[in-house]
Amino acid sequence: MEAVISGLATGFGVALDPFNLFLVLAGCFAGTLIGALPGLGPINGVAILLPIAYGLGFGPESALILLAGIYYGAEYGGRISSILLNVPGDAGAVMTTLDGNPMARNGEAGRALSLSAVASFIGGTFAVVLMSLFAPLLSAFAVTFSPADYVALMVFAFASLASLVGKSTTKTLLGATIGLMLATIGVDANTGVARYTFGIPDILAGIDFLIVVVGLFGMAELLTLVEHQVSGKLKSLPVDKSFVRWSDIALTKWTIARSSVIGFFIGILPGTGASVASAVAYGTEKRLSDSKGTFGHGDMRGLAAPEAANNAAAGGAMVPMLTLGIPGSGTTAILLGALLMFNIQPGPLMFTQRPDVAWGLIASMYIGNVALLVINLPLVGLFARMLTIPQHYLTPLIAILAFIGIYTIVGNPFDLLLITGLGIFGWFLRKMDFSLAPVILGFVLGSLFENNLRRALSISGGDWSILVSDYKSIVLYVLAVLVVALPVYLTRRARRMEGDADRGGLV
Amino acid sequence: MADRIFAGVLLVVSLAYAVIAFTAISAPFQYDPLGPESWPRLLAIVAIVCLLIILWKPDTDSLGVTGRTWFRLAATIILLVAYAELYEPLGFIVSTILFGTTMAAMLGAGILRSAAFGLAAGIAGYLLCVMLLDLNLPAGEIFETLFEPSSPAASEGES
Repeated sequence: MEAVISGLATGFGVALDPFNLFLVLAGCFAGTLIGALPGLGPINGVAILLPIAYGLGFGPESALILLAGIYYGAEYGGRISSILLNVPGDAGAVMTTLDGNPMARNGEAGRALSLSAVASFIGGTFAVVLMSLFAPLLSAFAVTFSPADYVALMVFAFASLASLVGKSTTKTLLGATIGLMLATIGVDANTGVARYTFGIPDILAGIDFLIVVVGLFGMAELLTLVEHQVSGKLKSLPVDKSFVRWSDIALTKWTIARSSVIGFFIGILPGTGASVASAVAYGTEKRLSDSKGTFGHGDMRGLAAPEAANNAAAGGAMVPMLTLGIPGSGTTAILLGALLMFNIQPGPLMFTQRPDVAWGLIASMYIGNVALLVINLPLVGLFARMLTIPQHYLTPLIAILAFIGIYTIVGNPFDLLLITGLGIFGWFLRKMDFSLAPVILGFVLGSLFENNLRRALSISGGDWSILVSDYKSIVLYVLAVLVVALPVYLTRRARRMEGDADRGGLV
Repeated sequence: MADRIFAGVLLVVSLAYAVIAFTAISAPFQYDPLGPESWPRLLAIVAIVCLLIILWKPDTDSLGVTGRTWFRLAATIILLVAYAELYEPLGFIVSTILFGTTMAAMLGAGILRSAAFGLAAGIAGYLLCVMLLDLNLPAGEIFETLFEPSSPAASEGES
């Protein structure tokens, strides 16, 4: 407990520095703007702004604070296009459209937007408070992890990814493997052997993380926008003067509380992010309190549940990223890559080696949450204007931003061709119903996975049984099997019960 | 069907990856039992197994992209490649004006509005990024050789 208080004191010392405070606010503002752009989800927003934020040449803690602000802001901004346009920016926002958009169509757009801002604020703050309590404990435990335990942890992370993310387990697993394969390109750090470079000097050091992120997310998004090109403007519902009332919050308070808890703990699971959390929270809430069948027709609880869960999961996903170095979602994978670029290895030692960065980031999330509530309630009309930017200006703008960001890293025009190529690849993956988050997770975790495996086998002298010699690894492998087997078992059982019910009805 | 084609192409790539992993990669000396080649071998096997499953049971029939959309996508990619190739020779401002204008016009904006957008993006973008944010963007090789008397070609001519 003392460690938490002194850590938070350090953190707020960093985050309340006037310049960093400005960066939190600027990040939240820019994030909300880019998150509100129709069809551009948080992950794409962060991907496009990341290289630019990197190119500004700030210190690691300032750059991370800026990025976390953008990440948070984009999560907030995403709901604006969900509610007003019925166009979710990412998978996590799909549930928000179910009740948010009907509310706006009933002439309560302002009320829906402000309620979702309050729900997001509560969910987000709850997650940050839990995170500051849990993260030091978890990192203190994680210090005892051996390389073999890390291998088990990775297996667990990829297992939960494969079972919970995306439509097809095989495709998710393949996506993660593609990411891992991309990470093997370049010179092997242990032996100095070049792998898959084909003599091209530009990729001897491996494909830069930023290039993969901007290519797979930003450029693929651009091609998707071109594909779905709608002529002229999208029709946005007007933001009216209606506003959230105390009675609304009183009505939804238990919904928000339940959904925050659900969101946080699902967010912690490695590999699963806001999309699973908001879906589970909405489903739970619907089962618990939809007695009159109002869900889906503009029920406030149906809006508050996914919004609270969404933001709680965004915070929860930071826990494994900061303490274990295993990101909990696609977007935190990007933040993890950003940390690596600053030569900070996230993981158990970060809290002791770089407390300014770890706690500064956490403190900035407290501030960011408050800032977003303050920015969002009065300025939502301004952000809603972003929705009416015609697509034919938005699309080239994404390319220009992506090119600026990538060129400023090292000034190599070859990288611009590389992101275009990866963008085409990412577009095809999306068309084939692959989820892109596993690819980026695989890419980020690739070298960590391989190095720990090699280290573990070096310790044992090539004996593979070291991988299952510790209770921690065995527990993790059991969890990995459970996380794959349980959903399969549950759907089978549900189908069988449905089948029984049908047969009962026939008789 | 689309699934099978895509998986087939990926399978060829993965097989090539596997061949390299099993034959080409080897370290002259190494300290760890796995070496640089074992990890790619493992990955290649996992990828090939996944791809065979997809080939066995595909679930996406067609991409649902019409001929016109394919044309527009191809045009976008050509524009992006051209933009990338011209980025350094023409410099950020000129290449962005060209790219922004053509792209906006192709996507359905009026020609005057597209030109205005391109000009604004090129000039405002350069001012914002280079002057305000101090980022590194190409000024353009052509202009450097034209206007800078201290460039090697010019000084050779003088001497």
